[in-house]
Amino acid sequence: MLSVKGLRANVGDKEILKGLDLEVGPGEVHAIMGPNGSGKSTLSHVLSGRDGYSVTAGSATFEGRDLLELEPEERAQLGLFLAFQYPVELPGVNNTYFLKAALNSIRKARGESELDAVSFLRLIKEKLKILHLDDSLLKRAVNAGFSGGEKKRNEIFQMALLEPKLAILDETDSGLDIDALRVVAEGVNALRSPERSMIVVTHYQRLLDYIQPDYVHVLARGRIIRSGGKELALELEQKGYGWIDAELAA
Amino acid sequence: MNAPLHSGLEHWLSAPDDSPAPDWLLERRRAARARLSARPLPHSKDEAWRYTSLKGLLEQQFTAIDEPLSALQPEDLDTILIPGFDAYRVVLVNGRFAPELSVLGELPAGARVGGLRDWLGHDPESLRGQLDATRGDSETFFALFNTAGLDDGLVVWLARGVMLDRPLELIHLSVGLDEPRVAQPRHLVHLEAGAQATLVERYVSLGESLYCTNAVMEVVLERDAVLKHERLQMESRNAFHLTGFYLVQDENSRYAGVNIGLGARWARTDLNTRFRGEHAECLLQGLYLAGDGQLLDYHLDVEHAVPNCRSEENFKGLLTGQGRAVFDGRVLVSKDAQKSDAAMSNRNLMLSEQAEIDTKPQLEIYADDVKCSHGTTVGQIEPEMLFYLRSRGIDAAQARRMLCLGFAGEIIDRLGDEAMREHVAEAVGQRLA
Repeated sequence: MLSVKGLRANVGDKEILKGLDLEVGPGEVHAIMGPNGSGKSTLSHVLSGRDGYSVTAGSATFEGRDLLELEPEERAQLGLFLAFQYPVELPGVNNTYFLKAALNSIRKARGESELDAVSFLRLIKEKLKILHLDDSLLKRAVNAGFSGGEKKRNEIFQMALLEPKLAILDETDSGLDIDALRVVAEGVNALRSPERSMIVVTHYQRLLDYIQPDYVHVLARGRIIRSGGKELALELEQKGYGWIDAELAA
Repeated sequence: MNAPLHSGLEHWLSAPDDSPAPDWLLERRRAARARLSARPLPHSKDEAWRYTSLKGLLEQQFTAIDEPLSALQPEDLDTILIPGFDAYRVVLVNGRFAPELSVLGELPAGARVGGLRDWLGHDPESLRGQLDATRGDSETFFALFNTAGLDDGLVVWLARGVMLDRPLELIHLSVGLDEPRVAQPRHLVHLEAGAQATLVERYVSLGESLYCTNAVMEVVLERDAVLKHERLQMESRNAFHLTGFYLVQDENSRYAGVNIGLGARWARTDLNTRFRGEHAECLLQGLYLAGDGQLLDYHLDVEHAVPNCRSEENFKGLLTGQGRAVFDGRVLVSKDAQKSDAAMSNRNLMLSEQAEIDTKPQLEIYADDVKCSHGTTVGQIEPEMLFYLRSRGIDAAQARRMLCLGFAGEIIDRLGDEAMREHVAEAVGQRLA
């Protein structure tokens, strides 16, 4: 599904990703853990097509397409979804209008017809329930004045609606209290399926108590230095990230 | 016998001879004309005309309209009317009241609405005190022109306590003629104590022809009166548009105005408001969108002459292509106007490198116990916001349009009617396509 090989990327003159390899198969959940500054967010951003990064070497293939060639909207239309670490507030942009535009863009790209108003509303209400979100959200502007927890739930709600093939959750746990974290994780778990893959990017092991990954990767200094099962997350939790330096020095 | 007028404007006053004007009005026209001849043309050295040149306007050699256009049928309005917008309607065609296109039906008792020319024919005395009642010293060059050429327009007079049960829509329709013409409608609105109304003023055209509108509206709100006023300037993209708006407010009156400016190649809007009684409130909202070949120029003059009044001026602008706009807002708080509350804001979104905005909000405060603020921003679409939308599958052009409409939405949402909000949002969206 996703194949990243030898990926190198710069921000300005500074190299952040230094030859990163990652293979994600259908239905797999991969956790990427790493300390601050290891390149976690850069990886999420490069894969989703945000400006400000230059890829200097390597490749990223998604569903057989060269991901790095595509515009951000084309990646989304192909089935890639990024849940933002800091969801952006869009004052004045109505949530319903936004969701409809997004869903219809993606449906159109898949060769499906646009949803009529009634089916759209029914679908939305169904998905709101998964995230314990209130109808009133639909009348508000996108993320504007939302609490931190509401913003993160709104991300997962969008994911539920857009039904991506691959979701990247960029530090979705940051800034959430334990109750909000549980709701978000339940939402994510409800969306797990044999066809849907996920990359869960996180600093802490805590999120992985709720979203059980199939694979855990440790990202440090722009490369994946270790991969394993979920027990690797526990090892990290016990040892902290300090041992990485020792590892790298060795 | 008449002194010559300024070159380029000399044919603006070939006023019709058949108008039933009383002597006092003829005298006012003559006086205005005499003052015009004595006044120099506005010039870029005048602060009020610093950013806006008259050159293009003078080159057109507009001539006054002397014949009413009688050929229009009600179905000619089909493309102009807003479906679902239920209102009393007055239509002016090329500045002349068109009763056959207007729909007034049963107005509430005490509400009088009609054409200025008709009114002067049967009840001229009632307008004697109303005309020029609002203007104080702030008479502009082009408002003088409007007085000198005064011929027709809309008159609204609501007696004490009368409430209009539906909005009153004034459609100012311009139809291109063989040569470029100028229409100078004069609108007079008077709400007696406690009267309430919603007035929707729309400047539109059939076709994209070249013409000029030089409108003046005078509004008097007596104590406790409430006026909601929406102005949609959606003239032909080849047109020139001038407006002088003059408002005086008595004690405890409320005015809420929304100005939408999308049309015309060159538009100059002067909004002048003055509090005459305490505890009155004046809200001026505005949205303008200037694209290639367009200049939209706004001047606000808000005078807090008495204590305890509140005003809010909130204008937002979208500038695309080589569009230009000017926002020159002034709030004057006189020495005695203690406890005045005034907030002025002008925010602009620049959608191209070639667009230009000149913005100049000013507070002139002579009282010491006031709450006043002003702020200006000139910005661009945030890349973060654009990326967020695109990451959801929405293409860049649509994402930009959504963000612009989001920016404009704050003002569009102030329009009172759902059909009107949709109409304006659609027009803005089309311009951004």
